[in-house]
Amino acid sequence: MRKDQSLGEYLRAQGVSRRGFLKFCSATASMMALPPSALAQVAEALENARRPSVIWLSFQECTGCTESLTRSHAPTVESLIFDAISLDYHHTLQAAAGHGAEEARMAAMEENAGEYLLVVDGSIPVDNPAYSTIAGISNLDMLKETAANAFAIVAVGTCAAFGGLPHADPNPTGAVSVSDIITDKPIINVSGCPPIPVVITGVLAHFLTFGSIPELDALGRPVAFFGQNIHDRCYRRPFYERGQYAETFDDEGARKGWCLYKLGCKGPTTYNACATLKWNAGTSFPIQSGHGCIGCSEPDFWDKGGFYNPISAGNWGSRDALLGAAAAGAALGVGSALAARARKKKAQAAEGA
Amino acid sequence: MSSLDAIPVTAEVASGNVKPLLHEVRHALRRLAKGEDGTVIDLQSVPLAPGEAQRIEELLGKGEVRAELDALGPSVVQETSYPGVWLVTHSNTEQAVVGRFIEVTHMPELLKSQQADIEHGISRLEQELEN
Amino acid sequence: MTLLDFASGPGLQWALWIFMFGVVWRLVGALFLLSRKDLTKPREHNSVAAGLGAVISRSAPAHAFEKRILFQHVTGYVWHFALFISVLFFAPHILFFESVLGFSWPHLPNTIILVTAIVATAVLIALLIRRATHPVQRFISNADDYISIFVVLIPLVTGILAFTHFGGRYETLLGIHVLSVDVMLIWFPFGKLMHAIMTMPARYQAGTAFGRRGVKA
Repeated sequence: MRKDQSLGEYLRAQGVSRRGFLKFCSATASMMALPPSALAQVAEALENARRPSVIWLSFQECTGCTESLTRSHAPTVESLIFDAISLDYHHTLQAAAGHGAEEARMAAMEENAGEYLLVVDGSIPVDNPAYSTIAGISNLDMLKETAANAFAIVAVGTCAAFGGLPHADPNPTGAVSVSDIITDKPIINVSGCPPIPVVITGVLAHFLTFGSIPELDALGRPVAFFGQNIHDRCYRRPFYERGQYAETFDDEGARKGWCLYKLGCKGPTTYNACATLKWNAGTSFPIQSGHGCIGCSEPDFWDKGGFYNPISAGNWGSRDALLGAAAAGAALGVGSALAARARKKKAQAAEGA
Repeated sequence: MSSLDAIPVTAEVASGNVKPLLHEVRHALRRLAKGEDGTVIDLQSVPLAPGEAQRIEELLGKGEVRAELDALGPSVVQETSYPGVWLVTHSNTEQAVVGRFIEVTHMPELLKSQQADIEHGISRLEQELEN
Repeated sequence: MTLLDFASGPGLQWALWIFMFGVVWRLVGALFLLSRKDLTKPREHNSVAAGLGAVISRSAPAHAFEKRILFQHVTGYVWHFALFISVLFFAPHILFFESVLGFSWPHLPNTIILVTAIVATAVLIALLIRRATHPVQRFISNADDYISIFVVLIPLVTGILAFTHFGGRYETLLGIHVLSVDVMLIWFPFGKLMHAIMTMPARYQAGTAFGRRGVKA
């Protein structure tokens, strides 16, 4: 797509009819969790949308977020949105390598100064920046350098948004999130391990349609997708209310699709769109497949006491330590009682009783 | 796949959203009958238990009109057994569903020929006639 | 670390340690304070029966006071039953007890728990107001009474708020609820809440002491 083409012109040039374009807008609006009444506005905005430059930096990550996004082999709405943006730099997807790739990044930054979108996946090690480098440049330096002239930053995945897996106890690399390093740019946290692909493209679509940042919650996540917790949208909620729980993974309750609270489901404290948008084009999500939510869109979800530990059991340590406290109490009890009796004896002796 | 299908998993209780949805359709039909604007309901925005989307389709039934579109993948526009209530299902070229709507209207917009396409068609026809 | 992480992590850990240490200290201390063996000839030999008898018989008021304290008596039982059902038979609570004790028991549906929790809260607030306004109750109540009531009332109220998702984000409400339980656990060994542990042994002790003399406790 030529840089000076609008998205509408681009699609027409691809042979997409107006009807096809309206279908595309309808699906995009649905993806952005906009009401159907917004269709006209979305159509007009997308018709005239210019092609934004996007630089994608991958740091300490598993590439799961990119994988989540690119799981299609044929043109889909997601891939069309991806085509509509000018992905000027992406390690896994780009053909260029070596110095040529780095030059492409610098050129894109210069040409689109103040207007390009920076997408980051993976956490950034700060204990020793040498733990993760690209072309000899540390992640820390590359992030600061590239963020300087970006319009906004999208931190894709829990690693970039909150530190993720590398950040989990004991955090050997000193991994931190994007927002721990960049404090003077708007940052959109699209968390999840990985995020639902539609959520990633929904944010890009919002940017494409409105040229602005969507409404964010206290953790910097788009409210449209992270505004509800899983528990409140879970179809198994009636079982929770009625007290019908699966006790183990293969028991009768599990087969009947009962609530997974006792098996460690973190749905009540996790905010994401899994229960409504689901995964693999609306096929299913972990709870529907019989496994409790692990809370992967929340900070420090690896260190919340274990995926199979129920929320209400807490994360309070070992029973042995508790018995130790009891033993100490018993010792003090015996000691103070004996001391009291000794005082009593002494007093009685003094009285000559 | 067949051995996985053999695992008996049944959800006993629904999300509780099927009936309210149908009531919403009823209200929308009343408004349409009075001459007011049509309504579009995005089914993907409503939490539905497994099997409930199919149940809604069954409850609405099939009417007299069925249109199949081929634009960026197949789409099906089916009038339900309730006139004025249309079920629109958009799929992409991979046959994956990307949009599911209930449209309460006289004629879904997408079925009408679009102005931009008509104009494009005119220039194509003129070119054809010149040759 | 979020509020909930702290409250159900280090907060709960310390609260449980202090609770365990304090309760065992006071219980063992009290037991070891018992007098030397009584060398007089007992009127009745079966003091165990007398002790257990007192545990049961003192669950009802003394005949002479029955009518006068009927209100306190009935509301006291209603409140305690409502509290026990809400605390001990709510499934998420049972999971917590299981993590501490190592065993669990059957739970009741959530709607029943909600009803008992509301009853317990309403009755406790009513009794608190009575305590603060009734001349005799006011006269004999001290800081210990009020603190003990509040550290139980706050978990009840915050528990209902968290359960009904009312008043804020769920994880914040839950964090406040768990934190209030931590506070209650820390206060427990040092105030009148210890009656929960001491009442039965105290009745038993009075029963056996009186029983030796052939007197019904």
